[in-house]
Amino acid sequence: MKRGPALIIASTIILLFLVFFFYPAGMVVKQAFQGTAADGSTIWTLAFFNSVFSNPIYREGLWNAFALGIVSTAATLAISLPLALIGHRYDFFGKPVLGVLVLAPLILPPFVGAVGVKQMLGVHGALNAGLIDLGWMNAQAPIDWLANGRFLGIVLMNALHLYPILYMNIAAALANLDPAMEQAAENLGCPPWKRFLRITMPLAMPGIFAGSSLVFIWSFTELGVPLVFDYARVAPVQIFDGLKSLDKNPIPYALTAILLIVATVVFALAKCVMGRSPLGTAPRPPARANTHRLRGWKSFLCSGFFIGVFLIASIPHIGVVLLSLANRWYGTLIPDSLTLRHYIEALGNGLVVPSIQNSLMYAGCATLIALFIGLGVAWVVVRSNLKFRNALDAMVMLPLAVPGLVMAFGYLALSQEGKAFHFLLGADGNPFFLIVIAYAVRRLPYVVRAAVAGLQQSNPMLEEAARSLGASQFRMMRRVAIPLIGANLAAGSILSFAFAMLEVSDSLILAQQAEHYPITKAIYTLLSTLGNGTELAAALGVWAMVFLSAAIMGAAVLGGKRGGLFKV
Amino acid sequence: MEAIIAEHIVKSFGSVQALADISLKVESGEMFFLLGASGCGKTTLLRCIAGLEIPSSGKILFGNQEVTQMPPHKREAAMVFQSYALWPHLTVGQNIAFGLEERKVPKPEIKRRVDEALEMVKLPGFGERSIDQMSGGQQQRVSLARALVVKPKCLLLDEPLSNLDAQLRVEMRREIRRIVKENGLTGIYVTHDQEEALAMADRMAVLHAGTISQVGAPETIYRSPRSAYVANFIGETNLISGNVLDVKERFVLAQTALGPLVARITDPDWLPQSGESIQLSIRPEAWRLHQPSGDNAVQGKIVERSYLGQRIQYWIETAGGRQQVVEMNPHIIHEPGEATIMLHARHDDAIALKS
Repeated sequence: MKRGPALIIASTIILLFLVFFFYPAGMVVKQAFQGTAADGSTIWTLAFFNSVFSNPIYREGLWNAFALGIVSTAATLAISLPLALIGHRYDFFGKPVLGVLVLAPLILPPFVGAVGVKQMLGVHGALNAGLIDLGWMNAQAPIDWLANGRFLGIVLMNALHLYPILYMNIAAALANLDPAMEQAAENLGCPPWKRFLRITMPLAMPGIFAGSSLVFIWSFTELGVPLVFDYARVAPVQIFDGLKSLDKNPIPYALTAILLIVATVVFALAKCVMGRSPLGTAPRPPARANTHRLRGWKSFLCSGFFIGVFLIASIPHIGVVLLSLANRWYGTLIPDSLTLRHYIEALGNGLVVPSIQNSLMYAGCATLIALFIGLGVAWVVVRSNLKFRNALDAMVMLPLAVPGLVMAFGYLALSQEGKAFHFLLGADGNPFFLIVIAYAVRRLPYVVRAAVAGLQQSNPMLEEAARSLGASQFRMMRRVAIPLIGANLAAGSILSFAFAMLEVSDSLILAQQAEHYPITKAIYTLLSTLGNGTELAAALGVWAMVFLSAAIMGAAVLGGKRGGLFKV
Repeated sequence: MEAIIAEHIVKSFGSVQALADISLKVESGEMFFLLGASGCGKTTLLRCIAGLEIPSSGKILFGNQEVTQMPPHKREAAMVFQSYALWPHLTVGQNIAFGLEERKVPKPEIKRRVDEALEMVKLPGFGERSIDQMSGGQQQRVSLARALVVKPKCLLLDEPLSNLDAQLRVEMRREIRRIVKENGLTGIYVTHDQEEALAMADRMAVLHAGTISQVGAPETIYRSPRSAYVANFIGETNLISGNVLDVKERFVLAQTALGPLVARITDPDWLPQSGESIQLSIRPEAWRLHQPSGDNAVQGKIVERSYLGQRIQYWIETAGGRQQVVEMNPHIIHEPGEATIMLHARHDDAIALKS
């Protein structure tokens, strides 16, 4: 690629990032340090941080968010590490199917899953009802499995939702190892478990760390799940509650800045550990793999573990599906009678149909933008010789590190009357542009990774051949280059579209009027509606589930190797 | 040091048979080569000896001890990998010390032996370096040191030089042979590079489609190939088909398109019958130009030549097709299209092979 066009593309993208990423994030931090002095002038101050840390409620909220992050990450690791290791080392009965089934949690927005979990494991939920029916539990003193419906319930929901991301990261890291690394240790007399500790683990550490840092940032700043569990003493919910009085109250700024700083530090730490040498990765073509074929009971033990994880991970799904079909479901193992009426009623509800239209519009436009920018970034990173191309690659991955809540908050604050982004709001406060930009920025990393992977695998000589036969740059792109990586682009776009459809933080915070609600905010609003709102929300959640599973399957088929798309 | 014996090794991957009944014995202290085209099974055989693959049937013995089912980490057969397989999270010294730590060697001795090993591969003082700082040739030496430092029963080398550039490869050949011989090791070396095998081997086995075609010293394999495949794979040759007229002692007289030719029989188990159709192999350098005509003489015309400095290569059209001829240190350079020229091959240099 010529230097000129590469420079133009790169600087345009950097400019866009400065405006729509660094500026909002920086503004949040700046506001948190900026106060008004007695004489009305603006001064730098730590006062807001002081008031956050001196207020026991905010202190508790931050501490709870941090604890949720740590405990959820540990729980997620406890599920995904064994899954990835067993999958890496052994061939067992049903592995190809089970490997896909354990990704099931990806298809349900976590806060909808939380509704299902409450139905299944709550004090008056299905599990307790079943135990009481069996006479194993005293109906007068049912056990509260979710521990006051709060902390552990959120951890469970986070872990069940996030383990596939970590599982795919670790699996990809292990798959990229040169099998000769382990064979050399084996050859020098190292028994299996020591080989794992001395060679496999240290070499896979960058992948494990990178995945864990994502999981931590996600659960540390999770908004939807605590909201559904009515867990108010946690920083993200406190920020959400403080939004209504944003002009008078600077505390949300300070809280958001703290979340951002912690997330950035964690992400940077993970990147430092990532100082990976290319030597340990597999040569092309890779040497013979170390997968052992298991037979008999050992094989079924591994299958059983995968099935067990899948069943536990399906609890929220089962809860949501049953709830959406239930006439009435309270205190029994399964609903008394089933009905399709919620699905029909949902379509008649004034919130539902517009929200689906809105979401399709928002997510569709955001995906197009992400695809366009992502392709440009990938092109510069893979095909140009700009010195800073790797820095550009790192920059566009940053949205993974910045919590959705922080970005959404930044956009909201900047779109207030008289602020820089106010012009992006439509005449009647329509947040279309804001939401599309927010979705696009946060989904960009998926598209970039997919496009970079595609371009790296496609031989530049194929493009040069087209040029040498007289095709213009544009024609070459259209006829040769883009078709060659079409599958990767489609896979990345489908994923980013699906995740945009089910996005929570931006949607809850940026859409203020009912007619602009995306699906997730409609579901959230229905949940707090009296009457059969919960059932309607569940019905809408099932639609979302069906939609997202179809999208992910499409992406998996197009993208070939799963896991590659989620790697940091 | 112990001899390594493979008995009737069969290895199948699904429906593909990689090794079909292979038996061979590598003598103690010998530098033994497995040579063959890609896909012939040479690497699979090496991995069976290392224990990284378990043969479908057959036995592997180190000396008197059967090791067929023994896990690789108990075999004491150190391997040098094609990709070197050096662990990037450990330093050069830590890589080399790894096998000694596994063997619970005391710390001071580990240090001494690591230093010795670095000395032996001519990298003294490199112990603290990280693997990324080493060049390809240096990495090759480190991986050799890592395998040697544990004083293994045998050293297994899987195409160790294939990632190095040509000049370094020639240098490392002599280096590896020196180290193996100085340590009195039994070495098994896999390669597809015939020159490497001829230059370094005490003995070698040529593998073809999962079976052994021939085992012998390099000069035996080159001068007395027992099949057309071996004659063609090791060096270049002219293959001429013919019919047996007469057999006398270990020589055969055959009628060919070039006229009657006398050739030597290399396979001791084969006695060709009159009228049997056979093949004759005559190497390009075995054809001599301008010799007084006697038997085994052929008339031809030069159609093409290429001058290679130390030698000159001709393609000569004869009644039986084109013959490739190489003349070392040529005095006269013939031009294509000159008058007819006489070719002559000694009886010893023409090889009779089953067709």
